[in-house]
Amino acid sequence: MRLTIEEVKHIAHLARLELSEDELQRFTEQLSEILDYAARLQELDTSHILPTSSVLPPRSMLRPDEVLPPLSPEEILRNAAASAQGQFKVPPVLE
Amino acid sequence: MTDYEAVIGLETHIQLNTLTKIFCACKADSWNAAPNTNICPVCSGLPGVLPVLNEKAVEKAMLLAAAMHAQIQSLSFFDRKNYFYPDLPKGYQISMYEAPLATGGYLDLPLPQNEARRVRIAKLHLEEDAGKTKNAGGKRLIDFNRCGVPLVEMVTSPDLRSAEEAAQYLTRLRQLLRWLGVSEADMEKGHLRCDANVSIRPRGAAYLNPKTEIKNVNSIDAVREAVQKEIERQAREMEAGHTIESWTLEWDEDSGKLKKMRSKETEADYRYFHEPDLLPLHISEEWKKSILTALPELPLERRQRFVTQYGLPEYDADILTAERSLSDYYEQTVKAYGGDPKKVSNWLMNDVLRMLNEKGMTADQLRLLPAHLAEIIRLIDEGVINNATGKSLLEKVQASGETPAAIVAREGLAKVSDDAAIRSICQEVIAENPAEVENYRNGKATLMGWFVGQVMRKMRGKADPNLARAILEELLAQ
Ligand SMILES: [Zn+2]
Repeated sequence: MRLTIEEVKHIAHLARLELSEDELQRFTEQLSEILDYAARLQELDTSHILPTSSVLPPRSMLRPDEVLPPLSPEEILRNAAASAQGQFKVPPVLE
Repeated sequence: MTDYEAVIGLETHIQLNTLTKIFCACKADSWNAAPNTNICPVCSGLPGVLPVLNEKAVEKAMLLAAAMHAQIQSLSFFDRKNYFYPDLPKGYQISMYEAPLATGGYLDLPLPQNEARRVRIAKLHLEEDAGKTKNAGGKRLIDFNRCGVPLVEMVTSPDLRSAEEAAQYLTRLRQLLRWLGVSEADMEKGHLRCDANVSIRPRGAAYLNPKTEIKNVNSIDAVREAVQKEIERQAREMEAGHTIESWTLEWDEDSGKLKKMRSKETEADYRYFHEPDLLPLHISEEWKKSILTALPELPLERRQRFVTQYGLPEYDADILTAERSLSDYYEQTVKAYGGDPKKVSNWLMNDVLRMLNEKGMTADQLRLLPAHLAEIIRLIDEGVINNATGKSLLEKVQASGETPAAIVAREGLAKVSDDAAIRSICQEVIAENPAEVENYRNGKATLMGWFVGQVMRKMRGKADPNLARAILEELLAQ
């Protein structure tokens, strides 16, 4: 399955990746090969097999609705590149 | 001009009132909390953490699904909805996409003349909320407190036919959410959020025209107004021969106007895939059954029953079932009283509701119990006290928690129907007010009310006003 350069550009944009012309060429080749490889799986007839959503026994893992102490704002903001007024600070976003 | 009908679908996000968030043990409600004070590694998207689903969030969503007559699925699972936005620390929102919690469902809106509008539910699933961002001085500040708050997304089919119906749907939904106790449903606080999809077509047509989406409407009145304005705008455009473009519009509360939002650069491409960190959600028949037994009689069913069982006008039934504890209060009072249910309705709608509004309480918080109210009405029926005394007893019982009969006995509030006692007070009033007597005799008949008032005042409200009036009329005619 051959991807176009435009499709690769679109996927790169969704992942917020900036690719050079050279990388676009290279990744178009590589991604196409990966898709070709995955396409081989589709040669198998799986129409009579139910999708496997989990291999574990059908049992829900649930949590009781009980509050535990949170992190302090100082701790969480230690990871921030910039902060102000107890909040993360980022450049303005255009709607 | 062509006769148009509106085609409206509503997309709602309902904040469930669980104690904790959907996938972590942080406090869910951050109203008035300082920014970033209800967060943990899970909801702020730190690497290496695992989400664990909140049991109560599932149960509340199940209860809502059952009340909407939707089919709760025995197997559902969460997906990742991938997009980048600063309020979304993980870079994806955990939501249900391929296998939602419930399918189908509807809400029947009562219309005039005993008709109903069936509003079908196209989508009902659980998801997590995102954080909040705000612009400040050329920068954007982000508060993650709201990240991971449990939401039910519920989307209707395009079944609503006017701005009024859209408003009514939201009113009924809000009533239902509070009734079930699954959400505080306060639109101003964002517990219930609504986007409206609006298009119009010639009345009776079966096709759908392009629609616009109205965002950021955060009160029921605003939804009514925004949708109405958009219907009118589309009708003008069509009459002018223009086609409707699928814009996204934003409601500006201050100016009361719809503004076109800037369209996103790329079409939404969320690349959904199963959330690998969560197991599928299995809902056993047993669990479902235990939730369904907790499902109370629903507000619209109770409203209908009040009309048929108690012979109430629809207007009364509507008000009395607006809120669950009020409707319980009504039924308990009717039962304790045993007399005319309409009379009880009048007391509730006129006096008890005013009291609740003034005190900002719900009926179940009153010290004036249904048995007390029933006793007051009975005391009036039996002629022990008059109506005005009955009304004053409401506040006295509420203040003291004593029974009405005890207050009547202690304060000597029983009605004086003794002809002689009232007659002598009437004579006093006439003797003390010669000027009014003369005016009355010269034809100013409206003064009678004033005379009765004087007598009632002297007798501290205990006189039978009808008897006082009759005696006064007799004495003044002489
Ligand atoms: Zn958390």
